[in-house]
Amino acid sequence: MSKLGQVVEAVEKYNKFVLDQVKRARSDKKFGRELADRWNETKSKTPVTHTPTGLPLPRLALPEIDEPGEIARYLFGEGFPGEFPFLNGAYREMYLEPVREIETGKKRSTTNGNGAQAPEEPTRLFSGLMLAEDTNERFHYLTRHQRTHRLSTAFDGPTLYGIDSDADGVFGKIGEGGVAIDTVEDMVRLYDGFDLGSPNFSASMTISGPAPIIMAMYIAAAKRRFGPKVVPKLRGTIQADIFKEVQAQNETIFPIEASLRFLSDMVEFTTREMPRWYPISISGYHIGEAGSTPVQQAAYTLSNGFAYAEMFAARSIPVDQFGPRLSFFLDCGLDVEYVALARVSRRIWAIGMRDVFGAGSRGQLFKLHTQTSGRSLVAAEFKNNLTRTAAELMLAYMNATNSCHSNSADEPFTTPSEEWIRLAAHGQAILLEESGIFKHTMNLLSGSPGMKAVERALEAAILEEFREIERLGGVLAAVEDRFQRSQIQNAAHRYEQQIYDGTRPIIGLNKYRNGEDAAPEIKLARTPRAKQQLQVDRLAKFKKKNAAKAKRALDKLVDVVERGDNCFRALLETVEVCSLGQITGRLQEIVGRFRPMV
Amino acid sequence: MRAAIQEDVRAIGISSYNGGHVEFFAEVVDLLRKRGADDIKVFGGGGGTITHDDAALMEGKGVEKIFFAGTSLEEMVDYVRENYGKPRKKRSRSKSGDIELARKLSEIEDRFARSKRPTPKAFASRASSAQRPLSKIIRDSRFEIRDSKRGTRARVIGFTGPGGAGKTTLIDELMLRFLNQDRQLRKGLRAESYIAILSHDPSVIGEGALLGDRATMINSQDDRVFMRSMATRGQAGGLSPATHDCLALLARSDFDYVIIETVGTGQEAMPFQRNGIVDLTVLVMNPDYGSRLQLQKIVMLDLADIVVVNKSDLQRARTAHTEIEQRLEQNRRAQRLIDTVAKRHRDPGVDALYNLITRSRDGSRTKHADKE
Repeated sequence: MSKLGQVVEAVEKYNKFVLDQVKRARSDKKFGRELADRWNETKSKTPVTHTPTGLPLPRLALPEIDEPGEIARYLFGEGFPGEFPFLNGAYREMYLEPVREIETGKKRSTTNGNGAQAPEEPTRLFSGLMLAEDTNERFHYLTRHQRTHRLSTAFDGPTLYGIDSDADGVFGKIGEGGVAIDTVEDMVRLYDGFDLGSPNFSASMTISGPAPIIMAMYIAAAKRRFGPKVVPKLRGTIQADIFKEVQAQNETIFPIEASLRFLSDMVEFTTREMPRWYPISISGYHIGEAGSTPVQQAAYTLSNGFAYAEMFAARSIPVDQFGPRLSFFLDCGLDVEYVALARVSRRIWAIGMRDVFGAGSRGQLFKLHTQTSGRSLVAAEFKNNLTRTAAELMLAYMNATNSCHSNSADEPFTTPSEEWIRLAAHGQAILLEESGIFKHTMNLLSGSPGMKAVERALEAAILEEFREIERLGGVLAAVEDRFQRSQIQNAAHRYEQQIYDGTRPIIGLNKYRNGEDAAPEIKLARTPRAKQQLQVDRLAKFKKKNAAKAKRALDKLVDVVERGDNCFRALLETVEVCSLGQITGRLQEIVGRFRPMV
Repeated sequence: MRAAIQEDVRAIGISSYNGGHVEFFAEVVDLLRKRGADDIKVFGGGGGTITHDDAALMEGKGVEKIFFAGTSLEEMVDYVRENYGKPRKKRSRSKSGDIELARKLSEIEDRFARSKRPTPKAFASRASSAQRPLSKIIRDSRFEIRDSKRGTRARVIGFTGPGGAGKTTLIDELMLRFLNQDRQLRKGLRAESYIAILSHDPSVIGEGALLGDRATMINSQDDRVFMRSMATRGQAGGLSPATHDCLALLARSDFDYVIIETVGTGQEAMPFQRNGIVDLTVLVMNPDYGSRLQLQKIVMLDLADIVVVNKSDLQRARTAHTEIEQRLEQNRRAQRLIDTVAKRHRDPGVDALYNLITRSRDGSRTKHADKE
């Protein structure tokens, strides 16, 4: 049985444990009293906050129950926010505004009682366009009002496929849909002006196929600017999710096994040397965007996560070293499942990591970044996309996501323009800062009977998907068998059918159509030819300058790869003198190329 | 581009979502023009990312049609049927060898497609007509079509076996070795070899091939490889009615090797005729063939020169090897049995198969000379 099968058993066992605790609380007077005491104490100690209109509210909302069995069901089955099994949240408080000055009578500083930093803003906007300096400018624009700088980087097509800007047939794609990165010098330009070692800075990079090489470039760029001592201070996330690429997105450049090996090399290095870095973002977003159902999205994402955990554990990386460095990325659309999809995922992850992998409390946390659904946005009457995104944002925050990206309404056409990006960012601010929904009370909207019903149905369906994958021999075997891929394609097809036959209403597209199909007047972000040429010229200069060194570095890298040793350190040296395409090209000679699954 | 020319397609449909489409589409049109293949049309779409202004610009540059967001699949299918579904009118002179070769192959295919059900007799007569020496030799071409009288025709290797055994992946891995080997030999030892691949798709209703094998063959996308996909058009046995003639043409063209791949075949299939044009036959098997008795029913096990058990990393592979080995011994012929894992890069089994195929080449040349 793979670890996934054990996870299924662990969740079933845990659910039985919860029921046993409920019964015990009812039959064992002493136990029941203990639980009731804890419950009442938590309630009485919950601070009260006042809304701007003066209404007093508890900062933690709990159901009105006093029967010990029901209290047990809550405490063991859901847990308070920040407590196992983390149904209600990985942490306490989260987006709540600090306790108001009125209550303490003095102005609160930005640090809380423990001396820790005030929480980071959950807003993290995905961005990347043209050349490194252009994206850099956009980054500065986006973060100019923020205390903490959380950048999220989109790469252009050639970079995602590990190809250089001077490769055949890519010229028009340079800097389109993301930033063009060929060398460590581009990486230096990309984050220029930001203090990469600061605790207030974190960088997220959305790239998987060539992730280890890009990671090495990031580290090399940081070292060039701040010296070698910056490495353990680096904070951020790199996506590096190979499974979802093969299942949904196709941006894979090496065969699966080789990709997983390079990934493990990187994870081994970063979890030891860069304790604040998230070397993998286990992503359901692209699975969802490729057309999966919400259940498939959660099931495949979680099972991919458990498969990575199994792989890293097999490499003898301690679970308490890698466990806390795994993070997740989910899609949030408008289907009703999204009311609780992240909640249920958080619970399954915690149980699996604790009971199957023996992770400590930090390794049990399902740390989540959410993005609103791009697929749900349509070009027809595109301003409606603002409403769609707003509803999705609401769902994402109801699920206590740790960070969130809200899509721009113009995304069906283009890389977002500044006007619509601003509206997307403001959407988050309106929800979190202007409205009172998430400001005063944790758990304000959790635990309705409807939500509970959704949770139960989701968990059962996710476990059933796990069982199916387990029957196929585990995640890797199922992936090679194209299981997830074909399931996703099938769901995508059904979704499109539903749009065409009208059973899935899309306002402005198949319902309440305006009639006119007026082309929206939008200023599109396009990369000028001169810029694309500049990138090619820079690359040529870099290659010329480093020609002799590049050959030696590549030979050395190949040597390490052939020996089967961890190649990440060698990669760190290679990126100093070699371009992305030079490295992937040479590695493909050794390990082969990814063969598309058709 | 290479694929479109080799397959002699009617049109290229491009789906582009991440920008750069104006340049990209224009470049495709331009390259087709430069290579003399401008009767291949270009159309496409990109959801909302291609604006109406862009589309006008692109159509000005020679793109035939851009579909916008919200277009139904039926609408697009109708467009393709209407515009690219009818036979081509007279074609201009082809400007290069690969275009010439691709068109000749289309002509052969079209001849068979026009007759509703070619009788064996008709088949025979057509076959002989297609084997007539080609009158026009195009000098500046990469793939020069020669008269067979020169006596050094390509070595033809046939691959067959059940669907899902991994024939396509195996051939593609062999191609990687052909191309790499040559790269090492390039310095003076001998000229680079050119290879043709003729692969088959089991289409019945439509007349075109699915190009599924092409998508799998990542290493074969090289200027020294001419790949053509054919539809079986309902004919049983793994090949198309036009295969024989197409193969004959390829064998007489300037290739060192011609590789032919059947569709997944059944137990009774014997796609390559005895004393036919195929020099070496390779049967690719999956370790999961069922009971031992099933092996007795597979005709190709008697006929193949080389039997490959692919996916030999599967649990059943050792049993399969033993059982097939015993089965082959009954034939008392010098058949070879090789285990491979084609999906694994640099698999030693594939190396062994490559060596076997290339080593037998020198001896076979004389054989051809005798025969012809």
